[in-house]
Amino acid sequence: MTDVTLTINGEERSASVPPETSLLRLLRDEFFLTGSKLGCDVGDCGACTVIVDGLPVNACLMLAGQVDGRDVVTIEGLATLEDLHPIQKAFEEFASLQCGFCGPGVIISAKGLLDRNPDPTKEEIKDALSGNLCRCTGYTKMIEAVQDAARILRGEKEAA
Amino acid sequence: MTDDVKVADKTDSLTDLKETDEDLRLPSVVEPAHFPVETIDTEARHQTPAVGQRATRPDGRLHGLGQTKYIDDITFPNMLFAKMKRAGISSALIKSVDTSEAEAMPGVAAVLTGREIPVNSYGPSYQDQPVLADERVFHAGDPVAAVAAVTEQIAEEACERIKVEYEPLEPVYDPVEAMKDEIRVHPPHSNIYATKRIKKGDLEKGFAEADRIFEGVYSTQMIEHVPLEPHASIAQWDPNGRVTLWSSLGRITLGRADIARTLDMPINKIRIVGTIVGGNFGGKNEITTEPALALLSRKTGRPVKMVYTREEEFIASTTRHPFIMEYKTGVTNDGMITARKVRLVLDGGAYCSWSETTLGKACILSAGPYNIENLLAEAYCMYTNKTMTGAMRGFGAPQVCFAYESQMDEIAHKLGIDPLELRMKNAFHEGSASPTGQVLQSVVVKDSLEKAAERFGWKEDGQ
Repeated sequence: MTDVTLTINGEERSASVPPETSLLRLLRDEFFLTGSKLGCDVGDCGACTVIVDGLPVNACLMLAGQVDGRDVVTIEGLATLEDLHPIQKAFEEFASLQCGFCGPGVIISAKGLLDRNPDPTKEEIKDALSGNLCRCTGYTKMIEAVQDAARILRGEKEAA
Repeated sequence: MTDDVKVADKTDSLTDLKETDEDLRLPSVVEPAHFPVETIDTEARHQTPAVGQRATRPDGRLHGLGQTKYIDDITFPNMLFAKMKRAGISSALIKSVDTSEAEAMPGVAAVLTGREIPVNSYGPSYQDQPVLADERVFHAGDPVAAVAAVTEQIAEEACERIKVEYEPLEPVYDPVEAMKDEIRVHPPHSNIYATKRIKKGDLEKGFAEADRIFEGVYSTQMIEHVPLEPHASIAQWDPNGRVTLWSSLGRITLGRADIARTLDMPINKIRIVGTIVGGNFGGKNEITTEPALALLSRKTGRPVKMVYTREEEFIASTTRHPFIMEYKTGVTNDGMITARKVRLVLDGGAYCSWSETTLGKACILSAGPYNIENLLAEAYCMYTNKTMTGAMRGFGAPQVCFAYESQMDEIAHKLGIDPLELRMKNAFHEGSASPTGQVLQSVVVKDSLEKAAERFGWKEDGQ
């Protein structure tokens, strides 16, 4: 068994898991954070994207043991009791999600981008979301939502 | 003495203590407790028609919060995880299945084989698909046994320890080859399991009137739906002999009937809970693992979950039919279509699934949205030893569209006519009759084409 202590959404958590456990399984099965989805388990679809030390990663490709002592942000860590994260609000407003399965991963990738680059071009947004597959909506509405959220986060637009 | 007591005050205080009906009533929808409850309330929610209004999805917020519960996000106490042993051989007789080593593994709760299934066949049109292959394997993705264990890993390892002895048979993969019926996928039945023929006018007369005749063969490939959420189900058999299934199935009523048939029990003992589906696109329109999970749950007395791997999505769920399409079209020198002959060969894979529907729609639409007085369309659907094909977005319409529009471009090029003009000349108009004689109303093909051409600058591009 591997002992892991990490920070998840600002809270310190510990678990003892078999060494082959992925970060995704750790989050879903040990901490019941099921917002990160298992879509392919080989790093192709991006439905499991979480932020580790500020960078978006595929949680299915990272071992639980590799995140010991590190900081992880999942989709559950974005909204506060008071309000949704501007990206979540924009995704709702722009109807960017249909079946929703890819949604948490896409929103996390978008957050990873906007944290590093508050004013991305359309190409930069496309590039940031290129690891996230969607089979329903397509990407147009997602890109529009990310642009809108970026405007709100930069203070150029009032939150709806 | 009692005169001193202020009755009115007492009543007041009692009123304060008494809960009203309103206080006791629970909200009809329980709000997610840890997140903001206010929703974006758009005008579209309040008025009809909503066309032109900006609307939001009522489930959109929970999707974005990661709070939507898909099957794999649901857990029950003492739940087991199932895996299936896949054949890995496309055509064979099953000589024996030895599950003893798997059953002896610590953590394995139950193993199920095809012979234990009361009625081991299902399918939305023909019941030609086994829940678990018992006597014969029809394609490499066929499951031959299912295991329920305390973890997915143990179930998977147990599958590897199941020994299956096969007698390989010669497979047939090419649908045109399959038409000859020399190698039969489901003997004694013919490989040609569905046909359709549409005849209109006089084909010979039509070709005689043509100045030019164009012939072409077009083909499309097999396509998997790839829903982001793989197929998933949980079965829970209760001591009353009823079973509850949580399933990513899109058509739960139809699925219920199919499950009742395979389990040989009344439909009222089967309850299906349709959860939010993480993408269907036609691929989740029929049952897959549900009967096997129900029986594993009966054997173990515990809830059993199974989620397809991405690989299983490709090899063991339905796909889009590959088509081979032969088109022969007669046209006058000024571009009017006088006759069209279409022959469609659909690769149906190992099982029928929704092939009949696909075949019908493809055949009806195979002439395209054009006025063609003399037409013959023939379509055949074939069994082959490949992953089964079924419903997928459009039921065969996209395949034939690729063929007839490709040919329209070839005709336009050869006749030196603008491709748009060729379509405008032949396109349906108000009151046109479809190949099956349906008189069409609200026909806007030409307007749509014109508007589209104008919007993307067809003319300016120097076409």
